[in-house]
Amino acid sequence: MIRHLIGLLVLLVAGLVYPWIFPSALTVGVTILLFAGWATAWDILGGWAGQVSLGHASFVGIGAYFVAIGATEYALAPWWSILMAIAVAALLSLAWGRLTFKLHGPYFTLSTIAIAEILRLIAINEDWLTGGATGVFIDWMPTPFGIDLFAREAQYYLALVFAVGVMATIIWISRSRFGYQLRAVREDENSAMAAGIDPTRTKLKAFMLSASLTAVGGGIYGMMLSFLEPHILFYLLLSVQIALTGIIGGRGTIWGPLVGAVLLVSAGEIFRTSFAEANLLIYGILILLVILFLPSGIIGEFNRRLTRRLYARRAQG
Amino acid sequence: MAELVSLLQNLSNGLLIGGVYAMIGVGLTLIFGVMRTINFAHGDFVVMGMYTAFVFNMILGWDPYFSLLVALPAGFLMGVLLERVVLAPIVDKPHETSLLATLGISLIIGNALLLIFGGESKSVHVDYASMALSLGEVKISVILLIAGGVTALVIGGLYLLLHYTEFGRSIRATAENRLGAELVGINTRRIQGAVFGLGMMLAMTAGVALIPLLFATPTATGPILTLKAFVVIVLGGLGRVGAAVAGGLVLGMVEVMGAAYIASAYRDAYGLLFFLIILLFKPEGLFGRSVKRV
Repeated sequence: MIRHLIGLLVLLVAGLVYPWIFPSALTVGVTILLFAGWATAWDILGGWAGQVSLGHASFVGIGAYFVAIGATEYALAPWWSILMAIAVAALLSLAWGRLTFKLHGPYFTLSTIAIAEILRLIAINEDWLTGGATGVFIDWMPTPFGIDLFAREAQYYLALVFAVGVMATIIWISRSRFGYQLRAVREDENSAMAAGIDPTRTKLKAFMLSASLTAVGGGIYGMMLSFLEPHILFYLLLSVQIALTGIIGGRGTIWGPLVGAVLLVSAGEIFRTSFAEANLLIYGILILLVILFLPSGIIGEFNRRLTRRLYARRAQG
Repeated sequence: MAELVSLLQNLSNGLLIGGVYAMIGVGLTLIFGVMRTINFAHGDFVVMGMYTAFVFNMILGWDPYFSLLVALPAGFLMGVLLERVVLAPIVDKPHETSLLATLGISLIIGNALLLIFGGESKSVHVDYASMALSLGEVKISVILLIAGGVTALVIGGLYLLLHYTEFGRSIRATAENRLGAELVGINTRRIQGAVFGLGMMLAMTAGVALIPLLFATPTATGPILTLKAFVVIVLGGLGRVGAAVAGGLVLGMVEVMGAAYIASAYRDAYGLLFFLIILLFKPEGLFGRSVKRV
């Protein structure tokens, strides 16, 4: 626990120092922080509760669209829009989970894709709701305390708060009763039931928390993009990116998704010149390597080796 | 009268499009039945077939169907290779693992195509593209008819292979009970490799049949077709070839009818909605007994 809190402090300090060292790479910084937050939020459901979702882009889209529509149509400040997005994401995931949690393993995953695709088609076609396929342009933002929310720097600090907040949540979960319930459900639903845990209830809580946190990041992402298109924001590939970031880093670990985000976003930047838009190639190659050689992800494998060495040392002396 | 004609027109379109969906779904269901692998790269295999036809058409001016000569053996060999390198090592892991592995393959194929051919959509123009057969007032597109014919041929061939050859018998045995098949001396590892090759071959054939009809875009077309293929096999009941054919026809009908009589913007949503309903309330499929058979 202490170790993780120190880690969180290191992350905060590194995050605060980053703009001084790389003032020209703020956008990359925001992207890393957002993906770290999303992948960690995804991991609550995907790693800790063991339900792999490939539909989390829906919640990113909801967050982003609430901020955009709120600002352009109703002159609503983003914090209020984000609060509303949290409520909607939580309700949606409640209904979504109630419907699909009787499916297991890959069938659950397929159902998340189907629902997310239907939501995307709605976002593209219902002009009155989202502005339709042409997209929405955010042309107004309030300036609390004279801070320009269009400035990349302000967005960077928002993203930092978001990522640190999600990390703090997962550290708290890892030691809470809820966290143990999640792991019990993941390992074996029947045994969990025998121990007095309601698997569906536990999974629903995990999904709602995961979806709400993802929507918060979506709101910040909306501010960063300032031009929103439904077929990108609600797209399967964004869901895939979020999920793979968590899985490559290490499912069900505290620091795995963060490591995945740093690795994948910076690799994407480095190869941007040679791969152009094909930068998801890296995700494909890495997920294959991880599955074949590091089945529990980078941090998962690291933890496993660490534990093994610890036991070996203890056994020796 | 005009309504009847348009109904018949929609029916025939739905049937023929459904036939192509069936061909995509058959490969997927075969792979699922034998390996219990959720092959997320299936749509990208179809897209590879499309690009094969495109490349040979561009360089050598071949008719797309002529490129089947290359696509068939290439698809089989690539499938066997992929199975050996990626899927064989994880065959006993939880099902999600193979889904994620094939998702990785899908990303690699799609983005490699993007890197090589660029992002714009590709198609092959053939002279007979706009020709149509008239049956009274109902018009049937020649391309769709050819695609339907290829589907019927391929599925018929597959049926014969599965039911009248020793190899087919081994495939069915492996699908039914892998351990049992091993006990009676079937090399199930080899069967799994061959089945994945067969599945990829079928997918590429469907791609070749689709290219005069549909545009291929490297990263976008694959996942859409994969989803459709999943819809097809879940509609019919997982793991059975006959059911996949029926599922394909149903999906074709649902899409065409939904687009014609409800709202065409939601064409892709009808299939997905239907898919969810089946998955949730009748997971054994529309025509289903339980799974397990090919």
